[in-house]
Amino acid sequence: MPGTFCACSTPMGQSGIAVIRISGPLSGTGLDDCFKIIRTSGSAKVISQMEGYTAALADFTDPSDGSVIDRVVVTRFTAPHSYTGEDMTEISCHGGNAVKQEIFRVLFEKGIRPAEPGEFTKTAFVNGKLALSEAEAVMNVIKSESSGALKVSNSQVFGKLNSELSKVEETLYKALSLIEMIVEFPEHDDTPANTDRVRKMISSAIDVLVPLKDSYAQGRLLADRLKVALAGKPNSGKSTLLNKLTGFDRAIVTDIPGTTRDTLDQDIDINGIPVRITDTAGIRQTDDAIEAMGVERARSSIREADLCLFLISPDDPADEVIEQLSCIRNSGTDIPVELVFTKSDMGINDASEEISRKAEDLGIEKTMVISALSDEGIDLIRKEISDFYDSLGSSSSTVIISGRHAGLLALASDKLMEAVNALDDGLGEDIASSVIRSALEDIGSITGKTVSNELVNTIFSDFCIGK
Amino acid sequence: MNIKEALEIKDSFMAGGYDVAVVGAGHAGCEAAHACAKLGLKTVLFTLYLDSIANLPCNPSIGGTAKGQLVREIDALGGIMGKIADECAIQMRMLNRSKGPAVYSPRAQMDRHRYSDVMKCYLEKVENLDIRQAHVTDLLTEEGAVTGVMTESRAVYSAKAVVICSGTYMESRTIRGGVICESGPDGLPRSVGLSASLSEAGIPILRFKTGTPVRVNSSRLDFDQMTRQDGEYDIPPFSYDNEMHGKTVPEDQVPCWSVWTTPVTREVITENMDRSPLYSGVITGIGPRYCPSIEDKFMRFKDKDRHQIFVEPMGRQTNEMYLQGFSTSLPEDVQVKMVRSLPGLSEAVIQRSAYAIEYDLVEPLSLTPALESKVVKGLFTAGQINGSSGYEEAAGQGIIAGINAAMKVLGKDPVILDRSQAYIGVLVDDLVTKGTSEPYRMMTSRAEYRLFLRQDNADTRLTPIGHDIGLIEDERFSLFEEKMRLIEEETERLKSTYIGPSDTLKEILESAGSVLPPSGISLADLLKRPKVTYELIEGVDKERKPLPSYVTKAVETDIKYEGYLKLEKEKIEKFSELESRRLPEDTDYEKIEGLRLEARQKLNKLKPINVGQASRISGVSPADISVLLVYLEMKKREEK
Repeated sequence: MPGTFCACSTPMGQSGIAVIRISGPLSGTGLDDCFKIIRTSGSAKVISQMEGYTAALADFTDPSDGSVIDRVVVTRFTAPHSYTGEDMTEISCHGGNAVKQEIFRVLFEKGIRPAEPGEFTKTAFVNGKLALSEAEAVMNVIKSESSGALKVSNSQVFGKLNSELSKVEETLYKALSLIEMIVEFPEHDDTPANTDRVRKMISSAIDVLVPLKDSYAQGRLLADRLKVALAGKPNSGKSTLLNKLTGFDRAIVTDIPGTTRDTLDQDIDINGIPVRITDTAGIRQTDDAIEAMGVERARSSIREADLCLFLISPDDPADEVIEQLSCIRNSGTDIPVELVFTKSDMGINDASEEISRKAEDLGIEKTMVISALSDEGIDLIRKEISDFYDSLGSSSSTVIISGRHAGLLALASDKLMEAVNALDDGLGEDIASSVIRSALEDIGSITGKTVSNELVNTIFSDFCIGK
Repeated sequence: MNIKEALEIKDSFMAGGYDVAVVGAGHAGCEAAHACAKLGLKTVLFTLYLDSIANLPCNPSIGGTAKGQLVREIDALGGIMGKIADECAIQMRMLNRSKGPAVYSPRAQMDRHRYSDVMKCYLEKVENLDIRQAHVTDLLTEEGAVTGVMTESRAVYSAKAVVICSGTYMESRTIRGGVICESGPDGLPRSVGLSASLSEAGIPILRFKTGTPVRVNSSRLDFDQMTRQDGEYDIPPFSYDNEMHGKTVPEDQVPCWSVWTTPVTREVITENMDRSPLYSGVITGIGPRYCPSIEDKFMRFKDKDRHQIFVEPMGRQTNEMYLQGFSTSLPEDVQVKMVRSLPGLSEAVIQRSAYAIEYDLVEPLSLTPALESKVVKGLFTAGQINGSSGYEEAAGQGIIAGINAAMKVLGKDPVILDRSQAYIGVLVDDLVTKGTSEPYRMMTSRAEYRLFLRQDNADTRLTPIGHDIGLIEDERFSLFEEKMRLIEEETERLKSTYIGPSDTLKEILESAGSVLPPSGISLADLLKRPKVTYELIEGVDKERKPLPSYVTKAVETDIKYEGYLKLEKEKIEKFSELESRRLPEDTDYEKIEGLRLEARQKLNKLKPINVGQASRISGVSPADISVLLVYLEMKKREEK
């Protein structure tokens, strides 16, 4: 399948840094307006000017509104000197799900499609980048990756998606056949032009597709996990809360600040939602080299998280808390942060009102009060996390768990909107039809239907025609 | 049977030797024979009945949606259907005018007998071509390749290639209620024995069904009760050659008519359904869904209480009229009642009654995209024998089969049009890759690249190919090149001519519901606006020179749809990449480890010619295609 394709080449949900690889003709000029180059060894202003094997520090931005999604390192490879033998771009971005998802969204909008199973390897081989002796291995990679994909498609989640998409397809085929009918059999007076009906049908399809593609925000967590970072000054009670949520001692808890020198991950289920809680080392200025590394790691796990709970103990000074909160806010992520006043059994922080007010200025509004000792508010935390998960969902009852599916549905819904525009502008039925058809091809690459066959069948079963 | 064995049969004799023998002189056979002869091969064309060459036994019309495009393509390649149709048209129309140039479709009503006659006279004058009335009963082969044919009268002809275009004649029978006749269409003789001979050679045979409506005499019809449909005069002829020579469509066109069925029609049909052979199980062949009989329409679409019927002339002189939409296999007495239930036809006299017809055909999956049999080398088939329906579909295959039979004899590579080049390519690819479970009718929605496969640019797409092959003569080709040059120049001029805002422009734009641009704008950008046409902007286009409408129309379409055409061209480029990866005929897919079992079996059975064709076989997944690409690369490197 020719074209430009992309995929994340680092494992899902496990890495601090993610690498997104893009291969094909659009990987250069097609993405120039997505990267604002900050620093590079050469004089390139845009990534397509970069020489092969050079890297640049850049902001990956959404060209539609200029907003910065992540600060990334971008590496260029020019054909034939790349892994696949085509022009390639590699983006090293932060491993957070939200970041990856946003980057993919922009790439899909740029007409770059999700890679087929084994496609990077296949392309590399076909372009002579891998040795002949590796051919069999390559074929096996394709086979196993596609059977992996097959497993997904046989899963219950996909079954539900498939039936939902089939309904959308049915509507679209009906809409398309209404157009095609008057095109194919224009002599017949009994097939009225149904532009309004067609438009309504397309809109109803869009109404299903958009929430469906948006459900990926939630669905990806079934493959990944909802990541919750616990942050706060050293000794603010993060490890104690982690132990409470998991039900056993994982972090070493002492009264000495900085006991947790590294981040600790714990996977738990909250109301059936897979959650990964990361207990971060407190963020503070330190001369201890080892602790400093922990602090840096803490920063990056906060950036990668979906939700950050910032813990404040009764004796934390207000100015230090605010400084740390701003520090999180300025670390290049708009991750939602919620305040948790801990150790309520020892009394609430005197400056709690001041802290809440200043936090509000930073866009941090939610606060909770807990005591890990007396169990006060622990259930509230659980509920907060599960509510947060629910808030990620869309109105769709089916969730999408594959980035490839999300990408294809995004392409399809965009095209359908274009089809509505074409009908509104009074362009010929031929144009509207070709755009709807193209959207159906995108959906068909999930459901496996071929447009021509389906269309002709719909026309024949729905209309009475012929000599 | 081989030639030697054939000559041992009593009374058999060696009657002649040809490069190519074409069996059947319908629309496929005529194109095939013409192409072979034109390419310099000694050709013979056999027909069961000389006066029914290029017969139009069903609707005497040529063209229509997708079919009109096919006729233009055949003409652009150097075929003859377009020219003969132009000469015999009694009414012409351009369908779909309001729905965008991609689906404009020319359609013409023919003078049925004249068409047959003009074709016969034309072919009689073609050099290298002999026409013979004979009933071919046997295909002669030797070691899996054709060597000739034998006729019922035991005449043996040797041939290096054979093209069979048997239409609906092989072992055909017509059915009206319980009355079954062993006959071809309209009482013509049928072909007996050839089907068995093909089967014996190992070719898989299927059986299909189609039907023809009632024909009535116009003198007893009351046209006041019908809706009149007149022809159009401002449209191009089918043939590009005629178009470029300034020929126009006929002056004195004949009207067509339409009526609606009445409650009585429905009643008559419902009451007599038990006498329908379709429902009683007499008919076993598979009929086409797009061409249902009238009883089928009433049974399948119960919510529709009436259906439209077209009353169309069969010629200028004759009173015979064709009832389009009224095909049936009900018994003749019911047909009379049905016809007389229609408005304006209460006194109608039937001249020929309707019938269903069953016939043998070849499984199209056993063919290569060159329309050559994978079982018997040198045997080509075209038209309804391959599972298609329609004169234009037949002719489109005919010219391809003819060209490729010639290429075979000349030892050259076959000529294969792909899905991005022509409707003919879509037609052939669909048939030989996906097969068909009913007579296959071309539809524009079958073409993925419909914006590009237009009736107005068939010459751009195919005339250079026709010229390369040798079917388009140099003189016509230079006219074509001149046309291309004019299109290019005019497009360039419109793109580079800027005009400022003015009252005239404002007026023009307002009439199209558009607004004046704030500053200068190119004429091309003006044309891109909805409802703004080349004609409309004449007032602000001072340097415009008079150009033929086939040039200005092409320029207008190319500019107006530039954005969409560009997207489609990109798709075509992607498509072509897989099309260009050839799969060797001797590939053993069982031995390719990475393929799934189903893919291995399907690929081994179909032996696709390239990866593109493989990707369209049902049961072959994108992952299998990746494996094939890796496999091809491996082979290539091993050979080095």
